[in-house]
Amino acid sequence: MKKLERIGLFILNIFFITVCFGVMVPILYAFSVSLNAGNSILGSDFSFIPRAFTLNNYRAVLFDQPVLLWLGNTVILAVSSVTISMLVAVPGAFSLSRLKFRGRKHIVKGLILLYSFPAILSMFAIYRLLSPLGLINTKIGLIIIYVGTMAIFGLLNLKGYFDSIPGEIEEAAGIDGANTFQKITLIMLPLAKPALIVTGMMVLIYVWNEYIYAITFMTGQSNYTLAAGLYSLQATEMSGSWPVFAAASLVVSLPILVIFFAIQKYMVSGLTAGGVKM
Amino acid sequence: MKHANQKLSSFYAWLLAIPALVLIGLIVVFPIFYTGYISLTNMNIFNWFTFRIVGFRNYFNALFLFDSGFLTALFVTVLWTVLNMIFQLVIAFTMASLLNIEKLKYRKVYKTLLMFPWAMPGYVSILLWKNGMFNSQFGLLNQWLERLGLEPVRWLANDVSAFVSSMVVNLWLALPFMIMIIDGALQSIDRSYYESALIEGASWLKRSISLTIPAIKPIIGPAVIITIFTTFKQFDVIYLLTQQVGSKTGARIHTVLTYAYENAFVTNNYGYSSAISMIIFALLLGFSLSARYLSKGENE
Repeated sequence: MKKLERIGLFILNIFFITVCFGVMVPILYAFSVSLNAGNSILGSDFSFIPRAFTLNNYRAVLFDQPVLLWLGNTVILAVSSVTISMLVAVPGAFSLSRLKFRGRKHIVKGLILLYSFPAILSMFAIYRLLSPLGLINTKIGLIIIYVGTMAIFGLLNLKGYFDSIPGEIEEAAGIDGANTFQKITLIMLPLAKPALIVTGMMVLIYVWNEYIYAITFMTGQSNYTLAAGLYSLQATEMSGSWPVFAAASLVVSLPILVIFFAIQKYMVSGLTAGGVKM
Repeated sequence: MKHANQKLSSFYAWLLAIPALVLIGLIVVFPIFYTGYISLTNMNIFNWFTFRIVGFRNYFNALFLFDSGFLTALFVTVLWTVLNMIFQLVIAFTMASLLNIEKLKYRKVYKTLLMFPWAMPGYVSILLWKNGMFNSQFGLLNQWLERLGLEPVRWLANDVSAFVSSMVVNLWLALPFMIMIIDGALQSIDRSYYESALIEGASWLKRSISLTIPAIKPIIGPAVIITIFTTFKQFDVIYLLTQQVGSKTGARIHTVLTYAYENAFVTNNYGYSSAISMIIFALLLGFSLSARYLSKGENE
């Protein structure tokens, strides 16, 4: 019996090692190609461990392409979007969670329904609305779009978390004479720190990964975000800047990987924000 | 006095919520209404300013002209959603069950590695699949085929293989979330539940069907519903794999979202595309209301 169990576990481990390797193949392949010198990718003698090692592709990414410029654009967009999102979502979610006012339930219901609407469907309408305002091809235009798109997520996610914090602490503070502003900054925010971090990071990840608005609304290489730039760097079926593209892909992904694994245990609650109770 | 107080607190409540609501109004709600308005016009690239109201003609064209392509796209989207969900649930349940076998030591390592596709930026992964795996010149899949002495395949060039390729990529992207959800649900089941079943000698399959699945159903329910929505609304996979502007691969598969996008930004039929958008929105509202209604009925 013991022996049978050991064999079973051995097979199970082999199974998981195979599956994990299989899952990682696209990433490992890109990694290996990005470090590989020479043209061996075109031959059939490819291996996951590069035969001749080089960092040239990474050098090409950082210095031959305007990646640093794109990084700058992305950072500006991300930081502004996260800041504004939090500035509007925190008081809004506090209001929806704690303050009783007429129409509150309807607002929450409406937000949940709107949350199912894919932003891409109204992209043309947004284009036509922003274009007479001169906001096409500007960072401000994109920031407004990103903040507006993520505002529902921010409100629902934070409201859900605020709802889970018992109200007695604030009531006690209220008796001691704290006003609404003090209740938010001194009591709610410190208690809700994990939710704040996750919400901010989700907005950051969204902006970092958003490409369709960025390529449709921004023209000219110097305005590109990392996502739009990476999109433009793709190798076509025929041309072979694939090793450079592979290197760029991994460089662009690295910060997101770090953030993801840092907040991983909160990701599930973040993605199910639309399911909060009414 | 109390009345005045209430008014004041109501004023505060609105004041705090207004900035977020105004932004949502501007970027989400108003564009939906505006899309509704455009859907009633013949706006296109030639009629950018000179468009006129044409009533429900665009809706009629989308829904009743057989060759409009919309009904096909809707069918493909439903097929896409159903197939993806079946594969996702079956594979994720199997993987999560295996991960929960008691004496598996390196569970954490496996879990972390399996999370990678979720952690990577989605569009990067899709582009890596397109350029690294499926490329007909230097893609890894064709390198493997070549080594086996087989002819290279143009994976994304015809409808069926492009659909299957897209589904593989979508499963690769979506499975980590589902595995994690089911894994979490499995861990929350009371172990003593099983013991009597084990003593009675019930097989794994039998235990799964009669014990495990009913026990995790309410826990994974919301996540499954959300995944159905995201699968239905999936745009990136099919768009980036097969129909990027300037590098179409030859396959002509459309989901409703890529169909609406193509009519707006490639063929510039704004009125028609807006009608499609409104129909999709109505469908999603319908799903979401009935999902809420059903889940409410179950809770009571």
